[in-house]
Amino acid sequence: MKKLTAICLSAVASIAISAFSANAEDFKIGLSNGWVGSEWRTQMIDEAKAAAEKWKEKGVNIEVVVQSANVDVPGQIAHVRNFISEGVNAIIINPNSPTAFDPVFAQAKEAGILVISTDAEVSSPDATYVGIDQKAWGAAGAKWLAETLGGKGNVVAINGVAGHPANEMRVAGYKEVFGQYPDIKIVNEVNANWDQAQGQQAMQNLLATYPDISGVWVQDGMAAGAWKSIMDAGKTGQTAATGEIRKDFIDIWTKDKLNSGASVNPPGVMASALNVAVLMLQGKELKEPATAGQYKNAMYLPIPFIDSKNLAEAATQLEGKPGYYSYTSQLSIEDAEALFK
Amino acid sequence: MASAVANPRPASSGIKRLFERFPFLPALMILAVLLALNGLYQPRSVSFIGMTGLVKTYLALIMLAIAQTYVVFAGDIDLSAGAIVSLVNVVIVVLMEQWGGSGLSVMAALGVGLAVGLACGIVNGIVVAALRLQAIVATFATSIFFTGLALYVLPVAGTPAPAAFWRTYGGRFFEIPFVLYAVVVLAMVIYVLARTRLATQLLAIGDDSQAAFQSGLPVTAIRIRGYALCGIFAALAAFCITGDTASGDPLVGGKMTLFSVAAVVLGGSALSGGFGTVVGSLIGALIIGLINSLVFFVGTPSEWQNLVQGLAILVALMAGVLVGRRARA
Repeated sequence: MKKLTAICLSAVASIAISAFSANAEDFKIGLSNGWVGSEWRTQMIDEAKAAAEKWKEKGVNIEVVVQSANVDVPGQIAHVRNFISEGVNAIIINPNSPTAFDPVFAQAKEAGILVISTDAEVSSPDATYVGIDQKAWGAAGAKWLAETLGGKGNVVAINGVAGHPANEMRVAGYKEVFGQYPDIKIVNEVNANWDQAQGQQAMQNLLATYPDISGVWVQDGMAAGAWKSIMDAGKTGQTAATGEIRKDFIDIWTKDKLNSGASVNPPGVMASALNVAVLMLQGKELKEPATAGQYKNAMYLPIPFIDSKNLAEAATQLEGKPGYYSYTSQLSIEDAEALFK
Repeated sequence: MASAVANPRPASSGIKRLFERFPFLPALMILAVLLALNGLYQPRSVSFIGMTGLVKTYLALIMLAIAQTYVVFAGDIDLSAGAIVSLVNVVIVVLMEQWGGSGLSVMAALGVGLAVGLACGIVNGIVVAALRLQAIVATFATSIFFTGLALYVLPVAGTPAPAAFWRTYGGRFFEIPFVLYAVVVLAMVIYVLARTRLATQLLAIGDDSQAAFQSGLPVTAIRIRGYALCGIFAALAAFCITGDTASGDPLVGGKMTLFSVAAVVLGGSALSGGFGTVVGSLIGALIIGLINSLVFFVGTPSEWQNLVQGLAILVALMAGVLVGRRARA
């Protein structure tokens, strides 16, 4: 009930504000999220909504419309078509497929709609990607691990969903880094589908098969599970493994003094994308055009890294938050403005 | 209603016969209500362009729901339908690229795609009907196998389909969108298939496989043929998805499987087999699409969208079952 009241109030407030500020700029931005299986996605949308609110201080009214549900690829194409029917100014999408949206994004562009993808790159020349470079994300964790191990040792990798573009890019990232360390040997690589239970199971199997593992490169969403197996096996002291950015993991990390490091894929990426989108809608031009990445349409955001040096800082940011809350960072309006002419 | 008036018997029995003759009537009513609601909340969504977009987006699910219907007729189920879509999708996209993307090579790739779908269907049929494994578990296993094959053919999503292909799917001929022609052809195919012996035989097996066997029907062969037909329609679904997405993605169909089952049930078919219509499944797929859009157009807050969508599908299911039962009682 409280929530409903809050929604009503904010609706009334936004109507009131839009009525009083007829001269202000008004933009309608559609957010599409095609998977709701993790709190990370929920936080991503909440941060984007909050970022839209902040534009009010600058005299820009942003109405955010959200479509967020577990859908298949056609279902998310329908999201985009619905946004076109609704007449939005911009669409920000966390896409379920890198390539499947080319035709529908072309339609959106024809209708004069700005399309920005975040969290996962898309191949469409009609869209811009604003988010982190997943390959660099994978490389950062690998670099930390290699340096922590002093450049030698047996390493295993636990990956997400085979064939998922972000997963493949992360894999390419760590392979490149480990390739530069001739004494680091990747003894096995397994897929645990970004699932904590499967990550824990996979780690158990790996520990049983290879007693001499000194390093584990594991992706977020599975690292807490993998660490649980490591701790259960009593190998906490002898193992270095990548970690997670969720509060509950950071707490364990601090308490048990784990030898861990975590690349941050911040849920704030959609908020960053929204700030960039608004500036683009205002007709501003990027200082450096977004031409990075394999599809030549990407604008990469910085990737924070948490290790023992700044762990306490991360813990402070997350103090008082629920256990599922992730460490985050985003481009503020000012940060984003600095990127434009 | 015309037949009810012309009939001297009480009107209720006329309606009853109408529902018996057309078991998808409840689904059709739900579809009409949903269309009206969508139009009410977002008039542009029921414009000609909006409707074309709806068909373009959901034609793949329609095809997959039809595929599912033929195995459900016999009381079986195919949990690998979505994986077949993924496999055919990557096979045709890779072949089109390797063969140069001309009109002829596109047709050849589609031919191979149909053959792949058929082969997957026959594998399912043999595993379920000949080796007598439980359909739900066996096709779950083959779904993992087919996904593995798809990942082998194309390890990561990418590889654009030739423009000739998706521009045809998304384009117009004589000012009429291509997908509408596809719907007309599909309607004719369904009409013909409904009159074949296979459809009746599948229903007979679903109704009572023991009786069907005792009356001399080759039950195993017929069930395999049902799965084969399912495989072919799954391949057609893959063509649609390739047309709408213009690319290969080894995981594209995975989530569609259960939606196809839901569409079949929404259309008034019984999962236990022996009762149902293909037209109903087609309507069921559109109902799912319209519910997804309506949830957005009425302005549901994002954190409630999954819940409302699930509830709406449940309500549609209950409404269909209750109306159908009342009318047939």
